[in-house]
Amino acid sequence: MINNNLSFYSVKILAEIIRDILYFPVWWYSRGLNNVFKFLWKFLVNKQKSLGLLIWIKNIFIPMYGQYDWQGMLISFFVRLVQIIIRSFVMLFWLVLVVLVICTWLALPLLVIYEINFQLF
Amino acid sequence: MAEKNDLQFTSCPVCVGNGVNDKGLKCSNCAGLGLGVFYFGKFYYWGLIFGRAMIKLRHLKKNLHLILNLVVFILGILGLIALGWWIWLISNHSNDLTSFAFWQIKHWLILAFWISVIADMFIIYRISEEEVIKQKIDKPKYNEKNDVSEMPNNWRQLSKAKAKYKIEVSFGFNYEAIKVLEDAYILADTAKNGQVCAKHLFFSLLKNNNVLAIFSRLNLNLSELIAKVENQLVLLPSNQGKTFLSNELKEILISAYLTARDSGQKKVKPAYLILPILAKDKILSEVLYELEVDSDKINNVIQWFAVSEKMVDNYHLYRAKAHLKPSGNMDRAYTAIATPVLNHFAFDLTLTAKWGRLALCVGRKKEIEAIWQNLESNQFGIILVGEVGVGKNTIIGQIAHLMVEENVPKILKDKRLMELDLPRLLSGASPEKAEERLLVILDEVSRAGNIILYINNIENLMGITAGEEQSLDLSEVLANAIERKNLICLTTSTNENYAKYLENKPLGNVLAKIIISEPEINQAIQIVESKINFFEAKHKVYFSYNSIAKAVDLTDKYIHDKYLPAKAIEILESIAVGVAKTKGINSLVTENDVAKVVSEITKIPVAKITESESEALLNLEEKIHQRMVDQVEAVSMVSASLRRARAGLREMKRPIASFLFMGPTGVGKTELAKTVAEVYFKDEEYMIRLDMSEYQHPDSVEKMIGNSDGALGYLTEAVRKMPFSLILLDEFEKAHPDILNLFLQVMDDGRLTDAQGKTIDFTNSIIIATSNVGAVFIQDNIVAGVGMEEIKQKLINEHLNKVLRPELINRFDGIIVFKPLSIEDVRQIAKIMLAKVGKMLEAKGFGFNVSDEGIKKIAQEGFDPKFGARPLRRLIQEKIENEIANKILSGNIKRRDVIIIDDNGLVLIEKGKKL
Repeated sequence: MINNNLSFYSVKILAEIIRDILYFPVWWYSRGLNNVFKFLWKFLVNKQKSLGLLIWIKNIFIPMYGQYDWQGMLISFFVRLVQIIIRSFVMLFWLVLVVLVICTWLALPLLVIYEINFQLF
Repeated sequence: MAEKNDLQFTSCPVCVGNGVNDKGLKCSNCAGLGLGVFYFGKFYYWGLIFGRAMIKLRHLKKNLHLILNLVVFILGILGLIALGWWIWLISNHSNDLTSFAFWQIKHWLILAFWISVIADMFIIYRISEEEVIKQKIDKPKYNEKNDVSEMPNNWRQLSKAKAKYKIEVSFGFNYEAIKVLEDAYILADTAKNGQVCAKHLFFSLLKNNNVLAIFSRLNLNLSELIAKVENQLVLLPSNQGKTFLSNELKEILISAYLTARDSGQKKVKPAYLILPILAKDKILSEVLYELEVDSDKINNVIQWFAVSEKMVDNYHLYRAKAHLKPSGNMDRAYTAIATPVLNHFAFDLTLTAKWGRLALCVGRKKEIEAIWQNLESNQFGIILVGEVGVGKNTIIGQIAHLMVEENVPKILKDKRLMELDLPRLLSGASPEKAEERLLVILDEVSRAGNIILYINNIENLMGITAGEEQSLDLSEVLANAIERKNLICLTTSTNENYAKYLENKPLGNVLAKIIISEPEINQAIQIVESKINFFEAKHKVYFSYNSIAKAVDLTDKYIHDKYLPAKAIEILESIAVGVAKTKGINSLVTENDVAKVVSEITKIPVAKITESESEALLNLEEKIHQRMVDQVEAVSMVSASLRRARAGLREMKRPIASFLFMGPTGVGKTELAKTVAEVYFKDEEYMIRLDMSEYQHPDSVEKMIGNSDGALGYLTEAVRKMPFSLILLDEFEKAHPDILNLFLQVMDDGRLTDAQGKTIDFTNSIIIATSNVGAVFIQDNIVAGVGMEEIKQKLINEHLNKVLRPELINRFDGIIVFKPLSIEDVRQIAKIMLAKVGKMLEAKGFGFNVSDEGIKKIAQEGFDPKFGARPLRRLIQEKIENEIANKILSGNIKRRDVIIIDDNGLVLIEKGKKL
């Protein structure tokens, strides 16, 4: 009885593990890719938050430090512009990094297959 | 953590909540949902299927997965090693960088590396899949709505509803909780009970370490509990068919999930199952009740553990949030204006909270919700009114915490909470200067636009005026600013100061009042628990749950001029220090330690009712009669009421007892009062004595309860300092009727408000009033042989009601008539009095001996039917004590001499042996 049960479980579990392994490539380009997107999006949002880029853009015409005289508004417009440009560059850097990661994710399986193929034949 | 008793569970009518049909397939009606509940717009259900095979499969799978992961991991490492090896080999032959381009070179080591990359990818796959399984409980958000109307109202629609509206709660259970469930299933299956019910789950919970930790803080007898639960398990029906989870159990599991969700937990831990089990299974809660544990106690201990965990979590949360909250004066858009003056006179609570320096706030959700509501309805000034020590500042601290998390209404987002330091603002400044400072600060705040101002004890601003008497004072400046909605201002004040300085004043009118009441006992216990870990670490002692509960309970009962939770926290800290010193470090603080300290502070005998003490109360009559002669009726009546009081069978809102003692002078009325004080409160000193003949004028009321100029009342002050006391009101009927009216309230409500508005608690005092009214009447009737009961009725109806109003007479728990003393009584009293003299002499080293005839003679001489035992005392003083004093002073008596009272009542001396 116990042996019977055991073999039954073993087969079942083996099937599950095989399914797990077979699912792996599909996962890589479906749920895995989705997870990567989600993770990177969160990463970008957090970077944006800590840079405060959107807040700077939204407030571009609002003077800094409450200086509502025309000189203050003028100066603060340019200061904000400079800030936005610098912060955009930093943001761009993160964006490029994210794109690179996505490309790597997409290309890695193909590269591995190609390389193994190259090594063997 | 609220018990979720009000959840409305719905079950599928086709499969009766099982989720599967007769053939073991998914129910076609509900698509396997079975049973669940709508909660805040989502449907929660239990979907994990149990069965022996399933459990074994899960375990086996877990182990195999572990092995697979390990193998893949090793493969990955080997691949990296292979690549490293290859690079090492190449670097031996060549320095040319191009020769390291491993992707262009054929080598078996590189092949191994590329294969291992697949393993690495596989590892990523496994880890992220496991993360998905570890889906944490969704967190309740600010502004969440419990709207059921939008949800589908039939099972077919529900089963087709989007997945994100259907929460399968088993994902929220941690590994240990699932293990407990599996144990419960196996237990039920082995016993063939057919259904896994609450009792199985509870029994298997008792093997979990966390649950055991909770029960050990409760000082619970575990073996007894296990035995009792086993007895209950045996009673369940056996020889049933296939075992499945009962609907009751599913409801428990879902409630546990929702409770964990509402208290912001990440996973359902086994401890969270205890309360839902007890809520559903009345028998188990009875079993625990028998072991002196109820849901409240368990909940409080669970909260204790939860708060400790939360403190650790908070630390991580703040590290994560730290970089998003600006640490300077500026908001994130740099639109704010620098506030140098404000920065000088205030400190930044949001910043303090950001660095995790503010105390954790437990509970108080309703109050914070009220603050949000007021702010959202454009009420820019808010005042928290509550007594000192109820936690007003902690609530403000919690607001600062929430502002750091940005889990607040929009109006508070990206703002700073600044506490204005009033003493600093006002100190060393003339009113003009202070006003100038405040004006600048208000100006800065309104221009900066990102400041929420907090002023603690706002009443300090009142009445500070610059210039003439008619000019505006500081508070009105602030009131105007709030009214013009220039700034958002949170303030606090005590009830008394609010009524005195703010109510109906301009500032009071612009501030929305939120009452912060003293927390209830359970809430106070949870608040105290959140501080206990700190004391435990600081003083290296450990608190049992009962000691904390006792501290809260006793301070609530006996300390009335301070408020919970501060008063309990204060006492617990001093206990921690005391215990660490006396018992040494790493010792346990027990209930008795707490009782001892509270007793020292309040002068109240709070020792637990022990066996010997109950015995003393049972034999109260005997004890009293050691000091009192005769007056059997009076003594037994008083004793009976004291026993009722001690056993807790009295109305808690009235004094312990109130008696009116009537009878001629010198029959023992005052003596009985003193005896009661000694027996009940352990010392005659616990007696407040008032000669009511001194309060015959109407203005004596002021003497009694003080006046509004600040003079303290004699009675109210005495009782405030010594709430556990006997109040003896001598010659009660002689006081002015206005004063008697005061006692109407005292005897009815057990409290009295003094002229300063302080409420004095009389519920722990015994009130004894004495009166000589009808003394002659009593004597005459006793001589005429009338029964005591009849005398008493006539006395009340004909004599007493002429001096006291009937409602006052009715308020007394008992009116006790003292008999005039007989000659036999006086003899007994003489014996007791002489024994006292003997005791004093013995202390000085003299012997003392009285003959029986001598006692008789003295009693005879000292007896006067009109004055009771009073003449006897005088006689003993004059004839015996004076004589002995003279002899001692003249040097006629030396140590070891024996003083003898002979048959004629004369003092003789028998010389002692010479050494």
